[in-house]
Amino acid sequence: MMLKLLVDNQEIETREGKTLLQACLDNQIYIPNLCYLENVERPSASCRMCFVEIEGIKQPVPSCTVQVRDEMVVKTDTPGVRQLQRTALRLLLSVHDVDCKNCHANKNCELQNIAKFLKVGLKPKRLERYLKETQIDETHPFLNHYPNRCVLCGKCVHICRGKHGQSVLTFAKRGFDTVISTYSVTDVSSLACSDCGSCVKACPVGALALKESS
Amino acid sequence: MNQELTEEEKDTLKHVAIKLETFEKHRGNLIPILQMVQNNLSYLPSEALKIVAQHLGILESEVYGVATFYNQFRFHPPGKYPIKVCLGTACHVRAGDIILENFERKLEIPEGQTTPDRKFSIERVACVGCCALAPVAIIDETVHGHMAPSKVEGLILRIKLQEEMEERENKQHEPGQS
Amino acid sequence: MSPDNHKNIDLKFNTIRKEAEKRRAAFRDAPVPKIHIGMATCGIASGALETKKAFEEALVENNIEARIHTVGCFGHCYAEPVVIIDHPDSGFPPIFYHEVTPGKAKMLVKLFLGDGDPRFEHIYGATEENELIPSVTDFSRFNQEKRIVMEKCGRIDPEDIYDYIAAGGYSTLVRALKLDPEEVIKEVEHSGLRGRGGAGFPTGRKWKLAKSVIEQDKIVICNADEGDPGAYMDRTILESNPHQVLEGMAICAYAVGAQQAMVYVRSEYPLAVKLVTNAIQQAEKLGILGKGILDSTFDLKIDVFQGSGAFVCGEETALIRSIEGYRGMPRHRPPYPVQKGLWDKPTVINNVKTLASVPPILNHGATWYRGIGTQNSPGTAIFSIVGNVVHAGLVEIPMGVSLRTLIFDICGGIPNNKKFKAVQIGGPSGGCLNEDFLDTPIDFDSLTKAGAMMGSGGMVVMDEDTCMVEVARYFLDFTQKESCGKCTFCRIGTYHLLKILRRLTKGEGLEGDLELLETLSQDIQTGSLCGLGKTAPNPVLTSLKYFRNEYEAHAKEKRCPALMCRALTAFYFDLELCARGCDACATCCPVDAVFTTSNRKKGVDQELCVKCGECLVACPPEYDAVRKVSPPHLVPYIEKPPEKNKKDHK
Repeated sequence: MMLKLLVDNQEIETREGKTLLQACLDNQIYIPNLCYLENVERPSASCRMCFVEIEGIKQPVPSCTVQVRDEMVVKTDTPGVRQLQRTALRLLLSVHDVDCKNCHANKNCELQNIAKFLKVGLKPKRLERYLKETQIDETHPFLNHYPNRCVLCGKCVHICRGKHGQSVLTFAKRGFDTVISTYSVTDVSSLACSDCGSCVKACPVGALALKESS
Repeated sequence: MNQELTEEEKDTLKHVAIKLETFEKHRGNLIPILQMVQNNLSYLPSEALKIVAQHLGILESEVYGVATFYNQFRFHPPGKYPIKVCLGTACHVRAGDIILENFERKLEIPEGQTTPDRKFSIERVACVGCCALAPVAIIDETVHGHMAPSKVEGLILRIKLQEEMEERENKQHEPGQS
Repeated sequence: MSPDNHKNIDLKFNTIRKEAEKRRAAFRDAPVPKIHIGMATCGIASGALETKKAFEEALVENNIEARIHTVGCFGHCYAEPVVIIDHPDSGFPPIFYHEVTPGKAKMLVKLFLGDGDPRFEHIYGATEENELIPSVTDFSRFNQEKRIVMEKCGRIDPEDIYDYIAAGGYSTLVRALKLDPEEVIKEVEHSGLRGRGGAGFPTGRKWKLAKSVIEQDKIVICNADEGDPGAYMDRTILESNPHQVLEGMAICAYAVGAQQAMVYVRSEYPLAVKLVTNAIQQAEKLGILGKGILDSTFDLKIDVFQGSGAFVCGEETALIRSIEGYRGMPRHRPPYPVQKGLWDKPTVINNVKTLASVPPILNHGATWYRGIGTQNSPGTAIFSIVGNVVHAGLVEIPMGVSLRTLIFDICGGIPNNKKFKAVQIGGPSGGCLNEDFLDTPIDFDSLTKAGAMMGSGGMVVMDEDTCMVEVARYFLDFTQKESCGKCTFCRIGTYHLLKILRRLTKGEGLEGDLELLETLSQDIQTGSLCGLGKTAPNPVLTSLKYFRNEYEAHAKEKRCPALMCRALTAFYFDLELCARGCDACATCCPVDAVFTTSNRKKGVDQELCVKCGECLVACPPEYDAVRKVSPPHLVPYIEKPPEKNKKDHK
């Protein structure tokens, strides 16, 4: 069934069962997002970027968690929404090694895009910067991981699990120390990594790269 | 995590592998299994993570990811005398952090680590439930209430002396000696 | 269930109850004194095991016969180890003794049990009204409490199911099994019971939602993942009366139509794990749990799952993930667990206190329960009150009692003639309230309105020597460490909050820090994924609001008004008062920071001093020479003589 929504005073049509975020993106209404994957039963909702305001709901909500309803009235650019998005972005940048010219994702990076969209400088002034000690995790035979670029969206973990049944990549540790890890993956023969590369493609920033030799 | 297992630990690991068979190969058993392993080995060496992963048919990285999420699991062997300093609210209000600092200073290790001789380890714990005795430290299984910085040295000294005495006694009992 | 079934249930239960009553009578009527010892974790930590051993030895030594009855926790932590001696032959009523050390135990056996002298100087009170000894109920710590959930705690042996049954236990389950599930839910709904885990969601409504899900396979989980530092009522209840919780779970399972249940209890609570496991086994053995409960057609299997130490697992979606064997990271709701919970089955998750409230509610009726507490928050609240308060421990009070009554009347106020400064309610997710809020009634809505929350029931009372910036830092330190790391706001935002608070307490605050704290806190509140993140800034926001001047003193003057932040304080000895030749401070200093001046008085080497305050404690009161100041530069200069004699010492 087709539904009609009013987003930023613009009427859009979409199919039932879609998330609000997807419906907007389908209709060329951009909402910043990092962890969203289409067709996932339960959204991760972890990046806290895709906030919108919906008529009848007091506080901004992440649009990836909302199923479209007919005649929904949505605003994607209220001061409340922008405030949250900018803070989320600044927080992510405060633990990000902003060294774009030496990053392979330069000019193809979601953080850069979002920063441009939200008009936030890549080097926020008010927050101190805290980087992890490990610059490159080279333990995986085919992949390099850059913890200080990673936004922990979890797309790589999800994609890998979807493709291979189990994920070589996993979240490890907890809280501020959370990292993407490939703990003790040494048995090269059992890995499909050498000619997969899905995780690298899924990464919205430059946190994963295939090793040059492979 | 790269420490070599002692002979004793290798034996225990074999015993753990046998016990593992009593657990159904069900993902929901992961945490109970890790608890069983740690109860036996007192920490989770990488060799143990491996056999757990094999048993459940999941990747080691997955086991590692889960184990590192929870406070309960340790990846380094604790000391023979594990010291736990309570930093629950009541102990904090009564300066439990100063007690922790004193242990760290005296043993020359930060919390979460074990002394090189594997005798002592320091851990901070949330409320142990003796708030009326705050601040509290637990050494081995004994609760020491109303701790004071000046008591720290005495406690460690007492254990060290006790150890020395035991060693001396053991030596005396060894045949062929004395 | 059919009337036939009803008859079976009664028949089966009556046999069990008769046995329980027989056993109780045998114990009660035995012509020997009875010694009841509180043996929950808090009692044991205070030495109850040694006390029990001392009683046993003394009984043998003095050739006296008596029965020792180990019970759970009375909730009077300040008085542990607690012992009640019932010695009818002496002519005295049962007597409550506090702080019974092994020495005291031996003396009581000899003098009270042997010679009939109850040693008045050690008596706390009699446990029943009488003409000889003032009763404990004369104290407000006893008479202003209203015990519903904890009624039997400290009175029965948690390891003995018959003790619980003889005290009326499991009879409510029997009654419930003879009602329609809908009637049970209706009664709970009418009672107005709200979830005691923190948020206060109406329990009856939750059950109704679960009941309405058509799927057959449902699960009930008792949430005992009490992670709040300084709160331990769930543990105490499980350790003192596990059967009341199991009975509540069985009633819940029957009402919503579940055949599987789980107690999710922290592995850091080994005694609770042991006692609840034992309780389940006993109940199964008697046919009160398991297949065909009390010969009815209702089955319920209860398992114990040990939580592995992650505060966030108190959040229900994270709790579910951890049982499933994953990292305990919360998920977006909806779907709620009652729709899609553990292994995607409809799951009712209730807190220990909620479930333990159910048997008394069904037993006395919803109207009775509504009569206790306030209109919107009926029933009782259990707090673990710690910090700077005389009678710390567990208190169960009717909702609606004011904070003032609770802190000053029931718990005896602030010790050492200090002034009340603040009370922190609801643990790390709660808020700090100042004295303007002392007359706030304690209920879900009033506390939330004041900026605190009921939370799990942790309450920390703080006196004038407590620094609010430091307290906020402490709680943030906790939540930040316990953040699961999933969502941006909580993972990175709380880290920044903590760093800012840390630099304030060190006197390294930057321009604009207070404003940054405020805006960041607000964004974390709205932006976070789960309750942990949403409430983590509460201690910061409330303390900023009610104690702003203290924050400003730290930020601008690098001064800690409460003299608590170590980087902002310093010690020195007032040379006018310091006694020549006295070494009390020097001998206790853990870092040898105390030196002797040229005229044999003492000085502090500020470079070495770690500001532990031992010298302040050690200085004999007749000199009282130690001074603590903030900011540190207020310390007068005292010359340290060159260390010429160092070699001689060795």
